[in-house]
Amino acid sequence: MTKAKLANLAGLLVMIAFVVITLFPFYWMVMTAIMPTSAILSRAPSLLPDLSRISFTAFVSVFTKSPFLSWMLSSLIVGGASTILSLVVSTLAGYSLSRWNSKPQQALGAALLISKLIPSSLILIPLFIIYSTAGLIDSYLGLVLAHMTIGVPLATWLMKGFFDRIPRELEQAATIDGASQIQALWLVVLPLVKPGLAASTVYLMLTSWSEFIFGRTLITEPTRQVLTVGMQSFVGEQMVDWQLLMAAGTISIVPAIIVFVFLEPFLVSGMTKGALAGT
Amino acid sequence: MMNRSLSATRFIASPIASVLDFHRRKTALSYALLLPAALTVLLLIVYPLYQIFDISFREGKSMNFARIGQQPFGLDNYRRVLTDPAFWRSTWVSAVYVGGTVFVSFLIGLATSLLLNRDLPGTRLLRTLVLLPWAVPGVIVAIMFLWVMDGSYGVFNSILRDFGWHGGDINWFVDRRTALGTVMLPAIWKTYPLITLTLLAALQSIPKELYEAAEIDGATSVQKFFFITWPGIMGPALLVVMISALGTFRDVDIIFATTNGGPAGATQTLALYVYNEAFQYFRMGTATAVGTMMVAIAFLGTAIMAGMAGKSKF
Repeated sequence: MTKAKLANLAGLLVMIAFVVITLFPFYWMVMTAIMPTSAILSRAPSLLPDLSRISFTAFVSVFTKSPFLSWMLSSLIVGGASTILSLVVSTLAGYSLSRWNSKPQQALGAALLISKLIPSSLILIPLFIIYSTAGLIDSYLGLVLAHMTIGVPLATWLMKGFFDRIPRELEQAATIDGASQIQALWLVVLPLVKPGLAASTVYLMLTSWSEFIFGRTLITEPTRQVLTVGMQSFVGEQMVDWQLLMAAGTISIVPAIIVFVFLEPFLVSGMTKGALAGT
Repeated sequence: MMNRSLSATRFIASPIASVLDFHRRKTALSYALLLPAALTVLLLIVYPLYQIFDISFREGKSMNFARIGQQPFGLDNYRRVLTDPAFWRSTWVSAVYVGGTVFVSFLIGLATSLLLNRDLPGTRLLRTLVLLPWAVPGVIVAIMFLWVMDGSYGVFNSILRDFGWHGGDINWFVDRRTALGTVMLPAIWKTYPLITLTLLAALQSIPKELYEAAEIDGATSVQKFFFITWPGIMGPALLVVMISALGTFRDVDIIFATTNGGPAGATQTLALYVYNEAFQYFRMGTATAVGTMMVAIAFLGTAIMAGMAGKSKF
């Protein structure tokens, strides 16, 4: 018994050491943002914060010295729109894939799988050519559509997995009671897949929020750029203002982390299901 | 009398008929539900894929994108790419980057999932912290590591000095000898959580009785791992390795934001090669030729892994 306890204690210590090491880059980002530059830009920076010198001015400078707010707004607009569109399209398709398996379903399923083999930097080439002729460069609509090329395959498989767990007899019972098939889907099935809708929404939002290469190529106007692209543009400068950059990085991660921490139990089932079902 | 029984039958029959009818009538609905996704996929994935394929066979350089389709047809782009040393270097870089990232991520994922499966105190919090990197955008991960591993002010070099390292300041992302290894760090950081999660789910589905029976038979923990745990997680493990490898193979964000393929192409993966050919040099032909080969490689790799995963189930 004591041997097992000792092994557990050792396991716990290993786990804590692992978490401390892996989350260190994140800790250092926050440290750089709140400590004075002189304390961080040194040959031997102190690893622990000097509580008396903490300052949050860098967080203010992010908004006053860079178009951070408009980048964030762009990310929210594109993320919101692509999430809603992908969710609607994918929920309908996921239901169809879950309940029927004839030729069109098989064809769509295959196309969605193949899409997972295409690198973003590759699909970007035809999209860029099409957008150039259609005048969609620099438009949010264009970027929203591009994000859907990632979002729809992802969420369709995720939703199919959730629909698969709802017994078909429920809809059949509802139609016997006189409901139309659309009513059965809307009133009986959809309320039961609410966890799936929540997981897909979070998933789609995080994916869009993280997306970089589409945003960088399809939006060229500096103030209309999305957050990840704006952040990366800091790095290209001659003298990188690390404190400002780390403050911006901290702010841009916070929404994702809050969503993640609160919805982690939801995501856990969705993440494995969606990822595995999707290939 | 006749009439009444007839209407009674009809009363009973109509709902049954509608249930039997369900399938036939539902097909119309099944197509309608599919329509938005089919349109999205056709316009944004299938047609672009066809264009990629088409452009990869169009010879000559054209700055007018609308006219690329009118260029002569031929294998010129493939010939050019296959004789370009930069292409072969990128293939090698991709192989090392994907192989290294997935291998290390898998080891970390396996270790963390085994530890999290032991129901240690505080597992709930530890699980959240272990999975957290998954939620951070790749570009931000890249920037975080760029700063930690910075040559002059990076805290990593400072920690090395504290441990008595006197090899001088290494500029991890810029030095030709360390760059490729260093870009794998943020990639691993972002990749292992999904592996942890998948393996943890697989571990939790292994019946506890198997371990109890093995214990009665006097099995050692090494034996338990190889005869119970490993067979139990093998299928999901192969799948998640496949997904992670695909993700790493396709990804450009992390390398773009850290080294952009430098120094001198030492970290230029195939995905980044495609991007730079297309959007730095505007050579759409060679870019799509490399891309087409990438899709073929990804397809082959996936098919082989899926075959292995299918076999492991039996």
